Amino acid sequence: MHELREEPLAAPLPAQRGRCIVVTSGKGGVGKTTTTANVGVALAASGARVVLIDADVGLRNLDIVLGLEARVRHHVLDVLEGHAELDAALVSHKRLPSLKLLAASQTREKDDVDIAAFRGLVDQLRGRFDYVLIDCPAGIEKGFQTAIAGADEAIVVCTPEVSAVRDADRVVGLLGERVKITLIVNRLRPSLVRRGKMLSVDDVNAILRLPLLGVIADEPGVIVSTNKGEPIALDAASPTGDAYRKIAGRIVGTDTSQPEIPREATFLGKLFGGQR
Amino acid sequence: MSARRIVVTSGKGGVGKTTTTANLGAALAMHGKRVVLVDADIGLRNLDLVLGLEKRIVFDLVEVVEGRCQLRQALIRDKRFGEALAVLPAAQTRDKTAVTENQFAKVIDDLAELCDYVIIDCPAGIEHGFRSAVAGAREAIVVTTPEVSAIRDADRVIGKLNERGLPMRLIINRIRPDMVRSGDMLSVEDVCEILSAELLGIVPDDEDVIDTTNRGEPIALRPESRLAAIYAKIARRLEGEIVPFSALGAPSFLSRFLGRKAG
Repeated sequence: MHELREEPLAAPLPAQRGRCIVVTSGKGGVGKTTTTANVGVALAASGARVVLIDADVGLRNLDIVLGLEARVRHHVLDVLEGHAELDAALVSHKRLPSLKLLAASQTREKDDVDIAAFRGLVDQLRGRFDYVLIDCPAGIEKGFQTAIAGADEAIVVCTPEVSAVRDADRVVGLLGERVKITLIVNRLRPSLVRRGKMLSVDDVNAILRLPLLGVIADEPGVIVSTNKGEPIALDAASPTGDAYRKIAGRIVGTDTSQPEIPREATFLGKLFGGQR
Repeated sequence: MSARRIVVTSGKGGVGKTTTTANLGAALAMHGKRVVLVDADIGLRNLDLVLGLEKRIVFDLVEVVEGRCQLRQALIRDKRFGEALAVLPAAQTRDKTAVTENQFAKVIDDLAELCDYVIIDCPAGIEHGFRSAVAGAREAIVVTTPEVSAIRDADRVIGKLNERGLPMRLIINRIRPDMVRSGDMLSVEDVCEILSAELLGIVPDDEDVIDTTNRGEPIALRPESRLAAIYAKIARRLEGEIVPFSALGAPSFLSRFLGRKAG
């Protein structure tokens, strides 16, 4: 048996098997990877043991968003094909040792991943972590089928756009009854909603009809934090970071508040730094 | 007659493939070209929505391939462009394996007899749907945003296009000049250097795109919009004209207030 690298051996195993949540959307670019990273960070910061799996074989990005790209030595296919031990492939987050990343293989194809083996890996990880979060690839092809195979919960990420809602609706249909689904509405611009130029959260959920897990505002800080590899959930002063921390609280069950619709930084507030 | 066959692809989703396809199609049609747009995103189609044609779909790409209708029956003419622009919609309730690469290429060949440009809206990713969408193309437009993750995915896709010998040019989408200036976003030069690709267009981030997309009216149809002018320039570059890139005149704070347009 190989030893855990950074977790002390004395750390108790999870009292019960960990939860496996797939973060999916159908449409690409709506924020699956950003959501996975931020929810993972927020869960780990609250004390949970979390592993994030990048299921986007061939087009991985979760390592970049977490700022761990230089530390990835082995990837998920190495583990599945027996070329690397699981522990050697788990990369620890720089600031949160209870957060691990299992990176996707960049030079391989999604067709190379055996669905049963992937499900087995998820099952193994659920014995060691409180949360297994899977960053699903865009689309509904084999990569999607693989990513959802081991999950019994799903977070559907949707932006307030007709095309994203349509794709999310299709994914909800494909996830079926077996999976417990919640919704994050991402990149909301309240000023556009007010002017009738963007769908509201209610508009989105009138179609999807899912329990609302959270609403995240569209703000440049998310792009900046993503490019820097420092998820905004690590920023204690950021309202968006706070929204992610509340989402984590709702997942854990410690936060029973209703998701808030983000308020826009006012013009004066922006000038005088009132929001941040 | 043999049309240009261009696939619009990106690797990463959500960078603007469908928006680019719709607006470029509109710009080329307004430039006097006959254009057919093909939605290759079987199971997650959206090109019909972006053009506001979703209620007019009778047949789709998969039904054409399966011989259940004639190609011309499945084409939806966008009446705003007279005879110049038509769309071949994807099937929504099927999956990408419903069409093989050869079948897809055959449809594109048949369409190429009917028009000047066939533009293929590729699905996200590099799976089966990507391979089919690329199979019928002779050239590619890679769309990326100035974000590290989008650029990494674009790089992977460019490698795949190179393997197939497909020439490609780059559109950098949703650039925010104010963020570039403050050092919070990669610049056009950065992106071109990383990807070592020839530039076809630079499209600034514009909140009106969300609204026009939701309404099914491509922004290229709004003559007063700065993006319409930009897509018109891209169309002229595709036609072989040498059109200089204007300095990314972000509307400055004051010019926004005064309602001046950027160049």
